[in-house]
Amino acid sequence: MGITIRRATIRDVQAMQNANLLNLPENYQLKYYMYHILSWPQTSFVATTYDVDEPEDESSEKDVVDQLAEVNLAGFTTVDSAEIDPKGDSAYINKGEKIVGYVLGKMEDDPDAEDKIPHGHITSLAVMRTYRRMGLAEKLMKQLLYAMCEVFKARYVSLHVRKSNRAALHLYRDSLTFEVTSIEKCYYQDDEDAYAMKKVFKLEEMLPYHGHSEVDDLTTDLI
Amino acid sequence: MVARKPIFAHKEDANAREALTLYEAKQYKKALKLVDQNLKKNLSHAESLALKGCCNYQLGHKSEAENYILRALKNGSTNYLVNHLAGIYYRNVENYPEAAIWYKAAVDNGSHNTPILRDLALLQLQTRDYKNLRECRQKYLESQPGFRANWTALAVSHHLNKDFDAAVSTLDKIEGIIKEHLQEQDMYEHSECVLYKISIIFETGNVARALEELEAKSDEIRDRLSFLEMKANFLLLLGKQKEASLIYRQLLQRNPDQASYYQSLEIALGTSNEAPEIRLKLYDKLSSFYPRADPPKILPLSFLPASHPEFKKRAADYVLTQLKRGVPAAFVNIKPFYNDHHKASVILSIVQEFFENEINNFPPPVFVWANYFLAQHYLYVNQLDKALCYIDTALEHTPTLVELYILKARIVKHSGDFIEASHIMQKGRSLDLQDRFINSKATKYLFRANKVEEAIDCVSLFTKNDDDAANGLGDLQVMQSNWTLVESAEGYSRLYYEQCALAKQEGIESEKSTETMDLAEIYLGLALKRFMSVLKVFQVYENDQFDYHSYCMRVGTTRDYIEMVKWEDKLHSTPIYVRAIRGFTKLLQEVRVELLNSETDETVSKEKKKRNVKKIKQINVKKKNEVMARVQPSPKDEDPLGQKALNEFREANKLLSQLESLVKQLSLEAANYLFTWDLAYDFYKHEKKYVLALQALRSWSKIVDPQNKKLRVVGNRVLDLQSAVEQDGSVNVAIAKVVQKGLESAFPELSEGQENLLSVYSH
Ligand SMILES: CC(C)(COP(=O)(O)OP(=O)(O)OC[C@H]1O[C@@H](n2cnc3c(N)ncnc32)[C@H](O)[C@@H]1OP(=O)(O)O)[C@@H](O)C(=O)NCCC(=O)NCCS
Repeated sequence: MGITIRRATIRDVQAMQNANLLNLPENYQLKYYMYHILSWPQTSFVATTYDVDEPEDESSEKDVVDQLAEVNLAGFTTVDSAEIDPKGDSAYINKGEKIVGYVLGKMEDDPDAEDKIPHGHITSLAVMRTYRRMGLAEKLMKQLLYAMCEVFKARYVSLHVRKSNRAALHLYRDSLTFEVTSIEKCYYQDDEDAYAMKKVFKLEEMLPYHGHSEVDDLTTDLI
Repeated sequence: MVARKPIFAHKEDANAREALTLYEAKQYKKALKLVDQNLKKNLSHAESLALKGCCNYQLGHKSEAENYILRALKNGSTNYLVNHLAGIYYRNVENYPEAAIWYKAAVDNGSHNTPILRDLALLQLQTRDYKNLRECRQKYLESQPGFRANWTALAVSHHLNKDFDAAVSTLDKIEGIIKEHLQEQDMYEHSECVLYKISIIFETGNVARALEELEAKSDEIRDRLSFLEMKANFLLLLGKQKEASLIYRQLLQRNPDQASYYQSLEIALGTSNEAPEIRLKLYDKLSSFYPRADPPKILPLSFLPASHPEFKKRAADYVLTQLKRGVPAAFVNIKPFYNDHHKASVILSIVQEFFENEINNFPPPVFVWANYFLAQHYLYVNQLDKALCYIDTALEHTPTLVELYILKARIVKHSGDFIEASHIMQKGRSLDLQDRFINSKATKYLFRANKVEEAIDCVSLFTKNDDDAANGLGDLQVMQSNWTLVESAEGYSRLYYEQCALAKQEGIESEKSTETMDLAEIYLGLALKRFMSVLKVFQVYENDQFDYHSYCMRVGTTRDYIEMVKWEDKLHSTPIYVRAIRGFTKLLQEVRVELLNSETDETVSKEKKKRNVKKIKQINVKKKNEVMARVQPSPKDEDPLGQKALNEFREANKLLSQLESLVKQLSLEAANYLFTWDLAYDFYKHEKKYVLALQALRSWSKIVDPQNKKLRVVGNRVLDLQSAVEQDGSVNVAIAKVVQKGLESAFPELSEGQENLLSVYSH
């Protein structure tokens, strides 16, 4: 399966909820996922599988419209022809397209919040175990951080992570340069402590190609 | 002029108004007291009755509430206050169609309360009454034109009625009005509204105008990703390939892991049909810009033929890099190319050669991952022995790696040994008790081994368990964990069938079989109960949209709102839901057959039937307690084993109406599932609704045989329906004719006889 990273849409919420229930102890009702998508449609992302098979031949006769129809532009597709997944696996949203990771982000919207500077929160992040260690979580996070900053002018983002969660801690602190701001005692249901973490944004650093040695100048022909 | 206090003809009316004020101030007890005084004097005072219903609801006497509402409506069906209160009541109990009726009646009967219009609009949206929605939104806007949300809401109502022009001009109008007054905090909403408008213009087919507007409004648009995606798409559709390609390059800069951008870029560059060498050059270039992105590496593997020398090189690079890095998904990632068996053998040879010649140059984990890969390969090609061999080698080497147990359990499951598979998965779980994923896997495997209660105990290690709850079932229901609910329902179904088969072996009349049948009865109840809990979750999902009918208008997120409406319209085509209905209806059919048998079986006297039922109940107490001790349902549960629900289904009406509503729901929302039409066909045939059965048959055959290859299964079913109609003595002659004609027109071969039909439908 190829894996694609794209913005989450309302059609993904059930499969995101499913991925959350399979991977994390902090769960939410579907309405809360809907709340994220319908309040900040730009700040949640999913990693999904897709069929890498070439579309059937004869494509030379297709015009642009037909060809485009085969490309799933923003995840907004309606499949009416085929069964989505006859096995009934909640991870699937289309044939061949299942959600293997997600990040759910929100802007601070509590009118009583102390800090009035626009800032975001990571509500939840998970990657199915069988798809871990491929960099998906990092890619999802990077898309989210950039979008928060660009669309909502967020100045920083914060999150909580279990003290014992080595993988997540590595990801936030080492790969994404978050800083620990405090330790919150007994933050979780089972009384585990949390690290409160924070990352202050610098827009130009957030660009996904920041630091690349070779950058598309957008003028030279590619071939 | 000072407003005069309204003068009421009766003291009751004045009292009722006062009670209403109290009700609105949430002083339900006080309101109720006043209303009760009224009703003592005038038992049929409609407004008081309505208020009493609403107060009762608010005070938690929910079962008594509706009765008062119904009585109020009987006595005052044209009283707008009564109508409004009835509307409020039904909205509170989430009966939206009924609520819509009474809100509408309140407006029609002369209420001048404008918020009613807004509330009515929300109900019209919930019930998809788009026709009346427009008028309502229009009237409300006229009363409150100072809020952008009301303009947006009117535009949405036009859009939902497919009146694109009216939608766009409404949005244009408010844009013009508001232009001078926009402040920083309005800019996000504004940006969303502008994008919404452009997407509607695009929907009308006027791409050029959509592009023009998009470019003109560029500075006002915050959502740059949507901006670029729309722009690229519009340009491509307008034939401006070169310009489009530049936008796709910008999109790739933002997100080089979005596979569809590569495909679109190729369309723009016109390379989709070029020789592999040319396309390879393109992807290599892109890969140099985006070295960590996956698509430019994997996509060439699909267009390079297996025989191309680059294929092996690229595939080796792709697979071995992941193997060396210990990526668990290395096999899954490359698996799609197994569709082409030439590619499959190249891939296998790559890993085998690496395994034989190079593995010693790498640290030990690479050896483990290579074995893991090969085990997956042999599982895929269904050589389970070899698969086991490789996975065991890996396990011997590193018995602490959870992934290896997950795979070994899968292999063993494929060999049919569910119990052993679940033991292996448990072992894996014990190595990483912190990780919920492996816990979920272990739970699933316990379910598959029919150890339903153990599975619930396992998953409960990660749920929030209330103080008085013995397990996480309650939390799983509240958190809408559909997969667990469905797995447990299916587990209980299997146990039910197991007990039925056992009872048959034991002989119908034996003591032992009665006990076995008791257990079957209990499992049946539990299975039904779990399936019904999935239905409940989906009812919540459906109701969840209600608040967003107003919320999104205020926030401005109308593009996603429209998507939400469409998604909810097809909610019941979600795979897990259809799966639940599949299991649920199968059990309902069992109950139905049991009922039919007991009805037709005249040798069983009524007396005996009664006795049977009683007997079951008697023994149940002991068995029930035994099972209860295992299942440990919440003490608050009124029907812990689902027996009440089961017995209700034994009253045929309930069963039929449940089946019918499911058939209708799936026909409407899940028309792409074969199962839908299977279910509909069986149901309608049994109900002797032959015309509907014919329709179901036609929809079914289109899915079974999309290329019209004239499959035998289709022919058989055509004859099945024909003979059902022929053998039914009670069928109306006209109906029989309609069905016969319908069958012949859909399957013309039938007019020349059944033999002929079958000879054609022979594949
Ligand atoms: C945390 C989680 C999302 C990481 O997902 P992932 O896709 O495997 O992460 P990535 O591949 O993007 O890894 C990012 C970095 O973390 C490191 N990392 C990942 N898993 C690790 C582990 N188990 N131990 C140590 N480091 C780890 C990676 O090596 C990588 O670092 P690098 O850039 O230096 O190589 C995933 O493990 C998960 O879903 N866990 C369960 C749910 C969870 O804990 N969510 C976070 C709640 S706050």
